[in-house]
Amino acid sequence: MKQKFLKKQDLKIFVEALAATYSVYYPKKNRQGNFHLVPFSEGVDGAALGGVRPFEPLKNFFFRCREKVVDGYEKSEKAPANSKRPYCVMGVKNCDLHGMRIQDFVFTEGDFKDPFYIKNREENLIIASDCTTAIPTCFCHALEVPHYPEKGYDILMSELSSGYLVEEGTDRGAKFLKRNDGIFNEAAEMHIEERDHIRRHAGEKVEANIAEHGIPRRTEFGDIIKVNLDSPIWETEVKACVECGSCNAVCPTCHCFYLSDSEENGNKEVRYKMWDACMYKRFAHVAGGANARPHLWMRLRNRFEKKFDFFPQVAGIYACTGCGRCYSGCPGKIDIRRVLKNLVAEKNGKKHE
Amino acid sequence: MNNPYCPVKGKIIDIKEETSNIKTFRLNLDKNISFKTGQFIELTVPGIGEAPFTPSSNPKIEDTMDVTIMKVGRVTEILHGLKPGDEIAVRGPYGMGYPLKEFEGKEILIVGGGVGLAPLRSLILALLNDRKKYKKLVVKYGSRTPKDIVYKDLLREWANNKDMELEITVDAGDETWKGNVGLITTLIKRDMGVDVKNSVAIVCGPPIMMKFSTFKLIDIGYEPRHIYLSMEKNMSCGIGKCGHCRIGPYYACKDGPVFTYDKISGLHGIWE
Repeated sequence: MKQKFLKKQDLKIFVEALAATYSVYYPKKNRQGNFHLVPFSEGVDGAALGGVRPFEPLKNFFFRCREKVVDGYEKSEKAPANSKRPYCVMGVKNCDLHGMRIQDFVFTEGDFKDPFYIKNREENLIIASDCTTAIPTCFCHALEVPHYPEKGYDILMSELSSGYLVEEGTDRGAKFLKRNDGIFNEAAEMHIEERDHIRRHAGEKVEANIAEHGIPRRTEFGDIIKVNLDSPIWETEVKACVECGSCNAVCPTCHCFYLSDSEENGNKEVRYKMWDACMYKRFAHVAGGANARPHLWMRLRNRFEKKFDFFPQVAGIYACTGCGRCYSGCPGKIDIRRVLKNLVAEKNGKKHE
Repeated sequence: MNNPYCPVKGKIIDIKEETSNIKTFRLNLDKNISFKTGQFIELTVPGIGEAPFTPSSNPKIEDTMDVTIMKVGRVTEILHGLKPGDEIAVRGPYGMGYPLKEFEGKEILIVGGGVGLAPLRSLILALLNDRKKYKKLVVKYGSRTPKDIVYKDLLREWANNKDMELEITVDAGDETWKGNVGLITTLIKRDMGVDVKNSVAIVCGPPIMMKFSTFKLIDIGYEPRHIYLSMEKNMSCGIGKCGHCRIGPYYACKDGPVFTYDKISGLHGIWE
């Protein structure tokens, strides 16, 4: 299909069209300058499809932090149909699209599938957008994750100065665009040029971050975890950790959960699937007192091992997208970029920070 | 689509007290769950929670399932307070189980410690179902004290069973005890009459017991790939999704819970 152009002032009509079918969320910049996902209610004032990733990872919509998975043993044998309106999430950045590759791997592959995740993932519309800039915590390129979407979206809307360059990604996206064809103009050569310019500019900012902080690239990782299992880095880095689990919560790839049973209105056959955090002491605890990771540093190591060793081994992908959220959200300012840098330095026998 | 988080309802039909803090529950489920020996289940106390256990009964018996449970945590504490007729629920079975095919033609050494004899009871019963397929069956069982010995009647029966050799030891004896006193490792010896070159060893028990038994087995000539260990980690979802039971590149719930020692020997946290 030909690329289309949507004028800035027509965004509202476009979102209204989406809202007829979907529960629409788009990013908005708050007073501190951070992007947050907000639900569309009436206006689209402040909708910012460009910028950088919002604080909330995309996984929230599909791997929900609290979801009822059993409500009566007999009637829950088959997973119930999703009665909620499908989501449309706008302004999704490539780091989040990459994060979903891990979520998809965990919940949709293997001998057992998670029907709740699969249902949540169906029927939604993902509208991705280019990053138009980078913030200091962005280091996606180090993980070979481009700062603009390549696949995994239904529609791509790249923010330009006067509007949006619009492309289809899937049949579902194409159908929606076709149904609402009247809203768009044909894209002109200058729109494509402007996007390329913005892409180049944002890419340079990510590269500048990597250079400034000396962040190692994926090709330099090698066996950074295996050779550093007993490294003092873990204990040094974990000193500021208060075990809040926020790094887990904001990570687009963290997928751990626990099952929690409870009694509701006399019904004892209730089970929730809730987010868990591997930084919590009880995470690997078993009845009787054994714990494979009793010390906090072991849990930090585990978190890195999972992302930089386990997933590369079992799924062929690093479970880090360079989004920088774990650092932004950490009250102890444990900086994943510094940890990676030190791990690589230690592996190469060099002094670290 | 099937809901992997939803258990099948069932009832406790019998409870046998094994020791002061270990009971064997006989379960009858609304739908038969057939399992391979060594696979585990998630046992739910409705409204309270679930925990993983490896059934201790003969896998050939399909209408009931035995689960031997030590009172050590939140769910097991409540389980111990239940009575015959009370409702429970079960998910599973999960995991790989013992590879019985690979044991054929071999001398089988089974090493159990404490309540770790529970999964091994199921294994021994499964081996006895087809005893002719295996060259020899030797069972070594260690318990803290004579009072902590589980399956006392069954052990008496096994002691007189010509199809197997059974030796028991306790860490500390009492006035009634006339048998071996010493750690389980004292029963693992070069001259115990097992041809280690044509043998597999299956170990299950508390982590520390598994650790030193494994070292002793290697010391007397067992190859790591012939030592089968039960890794009882925090298997929460049972289906390789929730992340709790990871050991290196594996999840104990789907890649185990039984692992040969060669697969896990370099990984951290295996003895905890």
